[in-house]
Amino acid sequence: MNADDMTSFESTLRAYGRRVAFKEKLTNVHQSLEADALLPVAEPQQPVRLWWNIHRPTLAIAAAVAIMTTFATIILYRSYQSSHKQDVQYSMMMRNLAVIQQTQNRLMSNIGGRGKVFQQNPGQVAGSGFLLTSSGYLVTNNHIVQGADSVYVQSQQGEVYKARLVHTDPTHDLAILQIGQDTAFHALPPVPYGFDARSSDLGERVFTLGYPREEIVYGEGYLSSSTGFRGDSAAYQVAISVNPGNSGGPLLDERGNVIGIITAKQITSEGATFAVKTNVLLNALNAIPPDSLKADPLLMNRRGRMARLPRKQQIKQMQAYVYQVKVFKH
Amino acid sequence: MSEAIGLVWTDDDLLSGLAEGSDKALSHLYRQHYPMVSHLVLSNSGSAEDAKDIYQETLIVLYEKVSAGDFDLHCQLKTFVYAVARRLWLRQLTLRGRSPMLRSAPMDDEPADDVATDLAEHQRRENQFAQMATSLDQLGEPCRTLLDDFYVRRLSMQAITEKFGYTNADNAKTQKYKCLTRLKRIFFKDYQDDDYQ
Repeated sequence: MNADDMTSFESTLRAYGRRVAFKEKLTNVHQSLEADALLPVAEPQQPVRLWWNIHRPTLAIAAAVAIMTTFATIILYRSYQSSHKQDVQYSMMMRNLAVIQQTQNRLMSNIGGRGKVFQQNPGQVAGSGFLLTSSGYLVTNNHIVQGADSVYVQSQQGEVYKARLVHTDPTHDLAILQIGQDTAFHALPPVPYGFDARSSDLGERVFTLGYPREEIVYGEGYLSSSTGFRGDSAAYQVAISVNPGNSGGPLLDERGNVIGIITAKQITSEGATFAVKTNVLLNALNAIPPDSLKADPLLMNRRGRMARLPRKQQIKQMQAYVYQVKVFKH
Repeated sequence: MSEAIGLVWTDDDLLSGLAEGSDKALSHLYRQHYPMVSHLVLSNSGSAEDAKDIYQETLIVLYEKVSAGDFDLHCQLKTFVYAVARRLWLRQLTLRGRSPMLRSAPMDDEPADDVATDLAEHQRRENQFAQMATSLDQLGEPCRTLLDDFYVRRLSMQAITEKFGYTNADNAKTQKYKCLTRLKRIFFKDYQDDDYQ
C-alpha cells in the first residue's frame, strides 16, 4: 500500500465529503426557499395535449386501422348490396291479380255456383300448372301456392276445381297439387306429353303454355344455358318471353316432352327465363311420402305421343292439361 | 464577490460563488432555474418530488464541474442546466420503464457532446460515492464518526482529538490513518474502477 494510492483514495473521500455536505446544503436551501414561498410551483401544462403527444404513434396506428376498417366495411356492404340487387333481378313469374282484373271477373256473368267463389273472394295470386297424370296430379311452383288458404285450378274451358296441396319442395320451387278428389273432376285421357329426365342440349327449340292472362298463351324460344340463375344446376336458362302468370307452366321440347317448369326470369337481362329441370321434378316426386298420395299412385308418362305431330296439333292436344292456378290468402 | 452583492448576478458570479461555497450564490442559483426544471419534469409525467430530485442532481453535476476548476461554459448557464436536467429525467423515465419520450425538445445551442461527457463522468462518480457510503456503513464505530467528522463536517484535528478523548493530535492522526486504511480495504474489496487499477 503505497502513499500515492493512499493520497488518491483520500482525495476521493474528500470529494465524497464535499458531495455529502453540498447535498445537505441543497436540501437546506430548498427547505428555506420553500418555507419563504420563493419557489414557484409550475403547473403541469395541458395534460391532454401531453397525453396526445405521448400516444401519437399509437393513435396514428389506431386511426389507420379505423380508416381501413371503415373502407373495408363500406366495400363489403357495397358488394353485399350489389349481390342483393341480383336477387331482386330474379323475379318469380306469378301474377298478382289486380283490382281491375277482379272487377273484370265480376263483370263476367258467371251464373254457375262455382263461379261465385271468385265473386265473393277473388284470388290474390295466379300462376300456371299442368297435369302430371290424367288422374289429377298437377305440378306448379311453390312460390305461387305458399301461404295459401285454398288453391283452385281453372281449366282452359273455364272449369274450376278445388286442389289439395300434396307436396312442396321449396328448394327447387316445386309444388304438387291434386284435383282428383274434386267430384267435378273427370279423369282425362292419358297426358299427351312425356317427361324426359335426360338433360337437353343447348339450342333445343322449346315452347310453353301458360296463363299470363285469363286466356292460355303460347310462347316459343330455345334453350340457352344448361344452368339457371347464378349457375343453379337444377335449372335451365331459356330464351323465351314470359310474363307474370307463366310461372308453373310446362317447358316442352320439339318432340313434346316436358323438360322443365317455368319458374322465374331475370329482370336485368333480356330473354333470360329460368325453368326447373324435369329430373329435379322426378326426384321431388320420389320424395313424396306415400301417405300423402292417399293410395292414388302417381304414375308418370315417360313417353309422349306428340313426337311427330306438328306444333299446332301438339298445342291443341295438350292445352286441356295446362291449368290456371288461383290462390286465396287471407 | 463584492460586486455580486448587487441585484444582478451574472452566470460567472453565480458559478464562482458556487465554487467558493457561498450560500447566497447557491440560494440565488437555486431560485433562478428551479421553475424551468420543475416545469420540465412536471409536464413530462413527473411529480414535484421528482422535480426536486432532478434539479438537485443537476446542481450537483454543475457543482462537481465548477469545483474541479476546469469549467468552461460554452453556452448560457440556463441552457446547460436545462440540457443536464432533461437528460437526467429522460434516464429516470427509462429506468422506470416508461416510454422515454419528452415533450420538451432540446434547446438549440445545447452543447450535446459536452453534456454527455459530463454526465458520464457524473455517473462514474455517483457509483464511486455510493460505494464509499456503503464502505463507511460497514466500517463501524468509532472510525465511521471520526472519518465523517474530518472529511464531511471538516472538523479540525484538534476538535476531533477533544471529541474522541485522544491524548494528543498526533494520536488522533494515527487513529484516522488506521481508519482510512481499513476503509480503503473495504472499499476496494468489491469496487473495481479503471482509475484505481
